[in-house]
Amino acid sequence: MRRLEYVATTAAQGFWRNPVMSLASTFTVGLMLLLFAFFLATDRGLQAAVNVLESKVELAAFLEDDARVSDVLALRARIEADPAVSKVDYITKEQAMARLVDIASRRPDIQIVDTSSNPLQNSLEIKLAHAQDAPRVTAALRDEVGGGVVSDVVDNPQVVDKLLTITRVLSFGGLAVLAMMLVVALFVIVNTIRIAVHARRDEIEIMKLVGATDWFVRLPFILEGMLVGALGAVAATAVVLVAAGPVMNAMVSFIEILPLSFGQTFVWQLVGSVFALALAVGGGGAMLSVRSHLAK
Amino acid sequence: MVALLGRGNELITLDDVSKRYPNGTDALRDVDLEIDSGDFVFLVGSSGAGKSSLIRLLIREELPSSGRVWVDGQDVVRMRRSAVPKLRRRVGVVFQDFKLLPRKTVAENVGFALLVTGHSGEEAREETERALSLVGLSQRRGHFPDQLSGGEKQRTAIARALVSRPKILIADEPTGNLDPVTSWEIIKLLVRVNELGTTMVMATHNAEIVNALRRRVVHLDHGMVVRDEREGQYAA
Repeated sequence: MRRLEYVATTAAQGFWRNPVMSLASTFTVGLMLLLFAFFLATDRGLQAAVNVLESKVELAAFLEDDARVSDVLALRARIEADPAVSKVDYITKEQAMARLVDIASRRPDIQIVDTSSNPLQNSLEIKLAHAQDAPRVTAALRDEVGGGVVSDVVDNPQVVDKLLTITRVLSFGGLAVLAMMLVVALFVIVNTIRIAVHARRDEIEIMKLVGATDWFVRLPFILEGMLVGALGAVAATAVVLVAAGPVMNAMVSFIEILPLSFGQTFVWQLVGSVFALALAVGGGGAMLSVRSHLAK
Repeated sequence: MVALLGRGNELITLDDVSKRYPNGTDALRDVDLEIDSGDFVFLVGSSGAGKSSLIRLLIREELPSSGRVWVDGQDVVRMRRSAVPKLRRRVGVVFQDFKLLPRKTVAENVGFALLVTGHSGEEAREETERALSLVGLSQRRGHFPDQLSGGEKQRTAIARALVSRPKILIADEPTGNLDPVTSWEIIKLLVRVNELGTTMVMATHNAEIVNALRRRVVHLDHGMVVRDEREGQYAA
């Protein structure tokens, strides 16, 4: 208990005896964590959007009017055997027309003037499990065109493609910026702890002379680094919680996809991730700083 | 060559030890030395003779370039890094410049040695009182180092070195910063500590003290032991 008290007191003293560097470190770590939280939230939002859109991805294989039923069934079986396909529906030309009439009745800009003939075709509507498989499945179906069963293939995954591209760019870009911030935060923490080590060099020398273990010498500094990280995390979390609402609203109106809102679970996951990164960066930076000193 | 098994009473054994620093300086050359439990040994010699290097080997602040060093039955050279703290708890060290922490009181400076090695607060308080009583500083326990005389600072350092009840007390020029009268007080204290059973190894330039005490004297010159006498004098 006394040891813990010693370690905790020494760590707190170290922080406050060097307030300028400590606060600079806290600010830098806080900024990095804010970026991290923003990155996590954005990534989660875009992932959710992609998932929703992916569930709506459909391909349509229009069938020749004179295609034989056995050929259509065989084609359907082949399509269903593809693991990327989640569902295949056979839509008759009558069902397609009924659907068109229904859509037209709700859309004032569409008007069907003559329903005496039905120019639509029978089709197979294919739902995919993942949007990224759309090009492959579409290509496979296009190969069937001209074989007497499939007359045309229509796909419309452009929105998803765009969203996937945005997600990828944001992921790589976000990770790159985050990595740079991580390096900066580590650099600042290493230097802060180095100053603390220098200020207590006499104490460390005596500790080592009287037989304190390396871990006992290191712990207060590691704790000080973690304190810097934790304070940065508190600041970043506060900013995130205050700014989350307005930023989300802005994002929703900017991206115009889905009115996303994050559940309580995600908020706790976000806070947990921010604190875990903060403690790892703080403690890790301090470890780097004292390791070289103790090796002497 | 010193027989490693020896007579069985050695607390410190140096076997053919040499130390060369990276700059090419030979600090110690082929040193063989045995110090028995309960001995009081003066290490004498001019500056640069190798006294401090020898002390640094005993507390494993340095490793020899060749040879073996045994302290309290342990091979200091082959010892794991994690075992060094335990060695240092059995070997108290006192320096010429005291090495006290200015923001800690006398009692805190002494108790610090126990608190940072895992002892409880109660244990540290009891042992600190015992050590302060031994060095005659019980009345000054609440004073800070800058409120103490040189002799009192050195007695505080001795109390800190003794608080963990080491088998060996090493003193590197402990009277180097003290006036003659205070130096004698410190020496008397160290003699008393030795009489209570702690083995003493003391590096010094103080010929008067060495000659008056007539204890074992190991004379180092250019890193070599040139004289080792049971009841020696500073100069032969």
